[in-house]
Amino acid sequence: MTINNNYRPQTKIDYSSYLYILPAFIFYILFVLFPLGDTLITSFTQWNGISEKKWIGLENYSKNLSNKKITSSIKHSFILIVFYSFLPIVIGLLIAGIMIRVKIHGMATYRAILFLPQILSMIVVGISWRWIYAPKGPLNSGLDFIGLENISRAWLGSFEFALPFVGLIGTWVMFGFTMILFIAGVQKIPTELYDAAKVDGAGAIAEFFNVTLPNLRGEIIVALIFTVTLALRNFDLIYITTGGGPGTSTMIPSMFIYKKAFQMNQVGSASSLGIMLTLLIFTLVSLILIIFREKK
Amino acid sequence: MFLIFIYIINNKYGGFVKKIFLLTTSLFFFSFGSNGETLRILAEAGDEATLTVAVSQFEAANPGVTIETNYLGWDDFMSTIKLKMADNNPPDLAHGNQGFTVDGTLIQSGLVISLEKYANQYAWKDSFASGALSEFMWSDDGSTWGSGSLYGVSPVAEDVIVYYNKEKLNSLGLSVPTTFAEFENALKVSKDAGELPIALGGADGWPIIHVWGLVEGAFVDPNQTRSWIFDAKNVQFDIPNRISAASKLADMASEGYFGSDSLGVGYDDANAMFINGEGVFNLTGTWMTADFNSGMGDNVGAFAMPTLDGAVAGGGSFALPWHISSKASNPDLAAKFLNHLMSNDFVDDLMGVGRVPAKSPTINPTSNLQAEVIASSNALVGANAKTFYTDWASPGMYDTVTQELQKVIGGAATAQDFIDAMAAESVN
Repeated sequence: MTINNNYRPQTKIDYSSYLYILPAFIFYILFVLFPLGDTLITSFTQWNGISEKKWIGLENYSKNLSNKKITSSIKHSFILIVFYSFLPIVIGLLIAGIMIRVKIHGMATYRAILFLPQILSMIVVGISWRWIYAPKGPLNSGLDFIGLENISRAWLGSFEFALPFVGLIGTWVMFGFTMILFIAGVQKIPTELYDAAKVDGAGAIAEFFNVTLPNLRGEIIVALIFTVTLALRNFDLIYITTGGGPGTSTMIPSMFIYKKAFQMNQVGSASSLGIMLTLLIFTLVSLILIIFREKK
Repeated sequence: MFLIFIYIINNKYGGFVKKIFLLTTSLFFFSFGSNGETLRILAEAGDEATLTVAVSQFEAANPGVTIETNYLGWDDFMSTIKLKMADNNPPDLAHGNQGFTVDGTLIQSGLVISLEKYANQYAWKDSFASGALSEFMWSDDGSTWGSGSLYGVSPVAEDVIVYYNKEKLNSLGLSVPTTFAEFENALKVSKDAGELPIALGGADGWPIIHVWGLVEGAFVDPNQTRSWIFDAKNVQFDIPNRISAASKLADMASEGYFGSDSLGVGYDDANAMFINGEGVFNLTGTWMTADFNSGMGDNVGAFAMPTLDGAVAGGGSFALPWHISSKASNPDLAAKFLNHLMSNDFVDDLMGVGRVPAKSPTINPTSNLQAEVIASSNALVGANAKTFYTDWASPGMYDTVTQELQKVIGGAATAQDFIDAMAAESVN
């Protein structure tokens, strides 16, 4: 430990500085910590929302784990991770990679257009895409026009296609975010590294994998955490487009939380599912941080 | 928090803030100090036209009474009504919803009062056949449904019937079916002629409940269906007639009578399709009457679904029940307003706003369609053939029945899968 002579020894703590964070802290307690604790307590009870809470221990949790509809909805969430997280990151990297090699006039305009889905309300996005995927919507009209009547169908009403097609909406929404993130990251990479790569005779692909990708690790972690979290807690898009249907083919845990709390009078059970989802997200985020941590 | 507030008041901006503080607190106190009677109503938005008429009539007839109405759309209403009634300052009069999910919970928690006293005072029960109000009857602990005390009333009937495109039916050489076999034949003829037999918005799930209710009604004695809904845990669901009905629905789907895309079409879109001439039949509720009438004029007709042996069957019930809060400051006033809605004088006003009154109207229907709808409704009431809605049976039933019916319509499950899943949910 080095001794810093300019370091002012704190003989007394200046409590007034805590006043600055007090308002934010009060809001944090009121709107984050308190509801979280309340949800945790509720998750161990049987409660219809207005009655007395009845303590039932871990029963809600064990029932959730043995409910096949819930476990299959978690599977759906993992499939959605591919569409919400994996695809947008690949697409974002691709665009960032191209950006380095090719100068495009009016790039700022393209960037703004590609980023647009990210700033639209999910409700607007959901309603628009429901129209695009409708039996007589633009997608099917387009397919019919190019002679592919055979594959046109009610995409969101199909037991096989509803989930991937909802997922693709997520891809469309998220890739603008990853793209902006990676483009910003690329601009911070020293150009000397690219010059050196060129001198060493690296082509576009070698340059991408040896220079761009390793230097974007921080951005990729941020993108992963953000998009994986969204894939798991996503509610509005499914609610607007399919409501979990047809059947249970696009059911996800957050839809169950909503249905249990507001349709089935099972607020305790809904809370336990919420806690389980929080733990799942926490675990996955931790895994991402561990896997991608800087190797010393 | 309060200390911070005091601090703000005492600093240099304090004068201004203090004035606002005093102003708001004084408003707060004075609002409790007014003398006239105020009745506060929270209603589902579908009742806005009805209440607007009723409120102005009632206020005119009762000087000094002010009625405050608030409306919420269906989803918002149903997800918040229990919390609003549990509030310390709930509305005096509010809608509920039949079944254990809303009404049962409100009664179990003592949030609404029995209306027996007022039903006797105003003779509400006399207007209806015995047992007709059973969907509003509960044991006083809210544990059993279908008998006991009256906890809600409604002046409006909502029936699930069959609407049809008159031009198409005529051009196909068909007449209004009088048995379920004739109805099935009409579907087949429509399909063979390249028409969409039934416009169905299956993407929303719940519209299929209406279709199922009518097919079930054609096969199953309405008493059996009602007793299952009132007591799903103890009354058997998987009876032979109901299994036949489920097989019939699955057959109708595989024959393509709902088209190939119905699970990708929402309820509103399906109705728009029907209005625009796509679909020979539309199996839905009488709440659509005004829309169909304005969209199709004399080209739309309606009939009650015929059963196998030529009687009539239908889903449907009264509209949402009115409840009086147990914390209402003046429950007598709330009941008096409720009686205004229930009175014979108001029946024609209900017709005027396009609703189907539960009692017979005295004025002539305003359109051909309204005449046919009222005739269908009367036929269902006369035959005691209304079977409510399948999802009333338990809080988890809505989810199960909509999901399982989507699977049947989409060919992802067999009739037996549907019956098994429903029987399992019944005892869940």
